[in-house]
Amino acid sequence: MLLTSRSLDSSPRYVFPVTSGQTGLPGRIVRAMRVAFVGKGGAGKSSLAGSFARILASQGERVLALDSDPMPGMAFSLGVPQTDAGLPDEAVEDYEDDQGRRRWRLRTGMTGPTTVEQYAVRGPQGVRFLQLGKAHGPRWDNTRQHAGFQRVLDDLPGAGWSIVGDLPGGTRQPFLTWGRYARTFVVVVEPTPASMLTGRRLARLAAGADAPRVVVVANKVRDPGDAERVSQGTGLPLLGAVPFDPALGDADRAGRALLDLHPDGPTAQAVRSLVAATRSQEESP
Amino acid sequence: MKIAVVGKGGSGKTTTSAVIARTLGRDGHAVLALDCDSNPNLGISLGLGEQATEHLVSVRDAVDAGEQEHASDADDLVERFGADAPDGVRLAVVTAIQNPQPGCP
Repeated sequence: MLLTSRSLDSSPRYVFPVTSGQTGLPGRIVRAMRVAFVGKGGAGKSSLAGSFARILASQGERVLALDSDPMPGMAFSLGVPQTDAGLPDEAVEDYEDDQGRRRWRLRTGMTGPTTVEQYAVRGPQGVRFLQLGKAHGPRWDNTRQHAGFQRVLDDLPGAGWSIVGDLPGGTRQPFLTWGRYARTFVVVVEPTPASMLTGRRLARLAAGADAPRVVVVANKVRDPGDAERVSQGTGLPLLGAVPFDPALGDADRAGRALLDLHPDGPTAQAVRSLVAATRSQEESP
Repeated sequence: MKIAVVGKGGSGKTTTSAVIARTLGRDGHAVLALDCDSNPNLGISLGLGEQATEHLVSVRDAVDAGEQEHASDADDLVERFGADAPDGVRLAVVTAIQNPQPGCP
């Protein structure tokens, strides 16, 4: 069975198989992407993930952008005005499990997809945006929000939705928990020893987990040899390279999305290439 | 003095910590630099080099894997999970235990 994101006659390019099996229909089959960005703090995960999500959406896909980082970041790169877009209290309810422990689940009658439909913030190009929920202070208890977010991860909208995730920096748990939906992990690495060391650690973690594809993006490259150095330094296959781009710093300082300030600059062009490269990766067997 | 450096990813915590530690070391203070980051790179910023930094991480990882005993006290920890960095700074990697057993403080 096939689902289409819109009527076949108007846009035959986007046909999403419910399973990854072959179909007999004509037209290019685009499998919705599930991508998560990981890497060292400051490597550029949020900037690339936000731009990636918007470019994907501008190409006609339904995109859910997931920010699993308790520090804000992806809202800015997406150009969503709401920097704290966690689930509201009403979306989550508590219950007692078999052992009498207090647990959280989505409100009765709600599923992951209906929660996304109701609560994910609408961003530019129709991107939907959902966050883990931010830390608000020493006594702020965000267990409820975090549990709700986890339940959405367990029951993400399926056919037709591409998922783009921005994971917390570092090497602790991203592969095992926050990014468990991803088919492709994009490790964002600068051509510096500390960033490459982080990339190697993430590659090791991936090998221990039930790993999907893990690829590296060389970010902020300045020399022609940087991309190859990053690939060799991390031992990961190179998805693409993004040049060092002062415009990105300008966008960060202004708190604006790069795609709103410099939609045709070198970074935006490089991310378009990343989208194309990821698509061909995910479509290959 | 006891100084903790915190902040957003990529804002310069590790670099700042390393410069403070080495500056104090140069001024003749005995300095212990603690890398509490779950992704510990302070060795690189201190000038310890990539290999020595990664070695400290692998010793730390061996504890999680059960191949290495936990430190019995603070001195043991600084001895076994540490290395000498330039300017007399002693570095130790002290990231939290990932899956503590019941009873582990």
